[in-house]
Amino acid sequence: MPSAATTEAVPATELAVAALALARRFAAGATLWCVAPQWPDHARHVAVEFVHPVVVGTRALPAVAVDRPEALAALRASVRAGDALIAIAPAADPVVSDLARRAPAWGVETFWVGGGPRPGAGAADHVLWSAEDDPLLAHSSRFVVAYHVLWEMTHVCFEHPGLLTSPAPACREDGCITCSDEGRLAEVLTVDDHDVALVRTADGEEGVDVSLVTPVASGDLVLVHAGTALTRVASEGADS
Amino acid sequence: MSPEATDFLYPFIEGDEQDTRSLLADLEASARVKSEESLRLAEVTLEEYGDLLDTVAEALAARSRRGGVLFTFGNGGSATDAQRIAGLFAGPPVGLAVAARCLVEDPAVLTALSNDVGFDLVFSRQLIAHGSSGDTALGLSTSGDSANLLQAFEEARRRGLLTIAVVGGGGGRCATSPDVDHCLVVRSGSVHRIQEVQAEVVLDLWTRVQRCLGVSP
Repeated sequence: MPSAATTEAVPATELAVAALALARRFAAGATLWCVAPQWPDHARHVAVEFVHPVVVGTRALPAVAVDRPEALAALRASVRAGDALIAIAPAADPVVSDLARRAPAWGVETFWVGGGPRPGAGAADHVLWSAEDDPLLAHSSRFVVAYHVLWEMTHVCFEHPGLLTSPAPACREDGCITCSDEGRLAEVLTVDDHDVALVRTADGEEGVDVSLVTPVASGDLVLVHAGTALTRVASEGADS
Repeated sequence: MSPEATDFLYPFIEGDEQDTRSLLADLEASARVKSEESLRLAEVTLEEYGDLLDTVAEALAARSRRGGVLFTFGNGGSATDAQRIAGLFAGPPVGLAVAARCLVEDPAVLTALSNDVGFDLVFSRQLIAHGSSGDTALGLSTSGDSANLLQAFEEARRRGLLTIAVVGGGGGRCATSPDVDHCLVVRSGSVHRIQEVQAEVVLDLWTRVQRCLGVSP
């Protein structure tokens, strides 16, 4: 079991980067969505931390715990581009894996707190991981320390207003995302009879040609470039 | 960290600051300091309360064996910790399950009581409904002063429950309440460090209860 004597430090480097990213999101008007399917109390603890700060003089910030079983449907309906999502869950959690995979199509930055085997590379924007692999880890202080420190440091970042605006992506000589070959992740909303789908991306909704990836259905993830869905993105379980 | 102490690190403390490196380095160092603080405080607290935790564990285990229920409660972040504790005792990932319930679980009950009789009575009224002499009441508070905890302990004592307070700071009113059988104080002024160490204290208590029940998780 985890004991104070054998504990490793928090992932300090990743937490610092995550705090600045989260502060930037809040500064731009984000809501922080909190999920922890196995331990919903952790999600509620994170939310109350931000909404009702314990340190006098710190801002109340919008954070919402989503602890219903149908978290995917609730979040899909509620999140807006620019929001943030924090999950406290093991790497194998299917709900969180799926949410983290869809988040780029929603324009949502993801923060994943957990322990034991790590999620695969790129599973979330910020992976705040404890190396310990212990069934009681969620009941120790480990995750609580991680999200407390994240909260504390997010507020430190607010003391540095000059650093709270993310550098805007600009067209460089080698091309920006829009004019390069890069595909954007999109979630299919509806498909009509002529292989045209309405999809959701970080930039909003748009119609795209899905004839190259047909058949597609509502909820499928595809990569879009120049108005065309080029490839389907593997769903949970299919890519392991 | 105090902003005054570190302002000198940032030549562009106002709106024109652009280089994130010094901030990130400082945040990283600060994260390590806070984490170390938390670990040290847990060590000190567990050392202080080792013997008491054995006593509490034996009493709790004895009540559990006879069918007693562990009721947990708290406010805010402590409410979420109370939920997790009830979950650990009632549905541990390893070891034996014992009957445990959290008194903040049901919004219908919480809002009915808060609306009709007041928030101070939100836990004590539930103990009137559910609690009996073989049970245990475990309340969490970072200050030790929450009125609804003190009311709950008073009702619990009246009904013969074992009463355990897991608190912080100087222990607050829980530390001197005649209705509290065992008071575990995490001696810190930081609400965050207190909650973190409370988690370690209760996990340690749970492990000792499991041992009393003949299990070594």
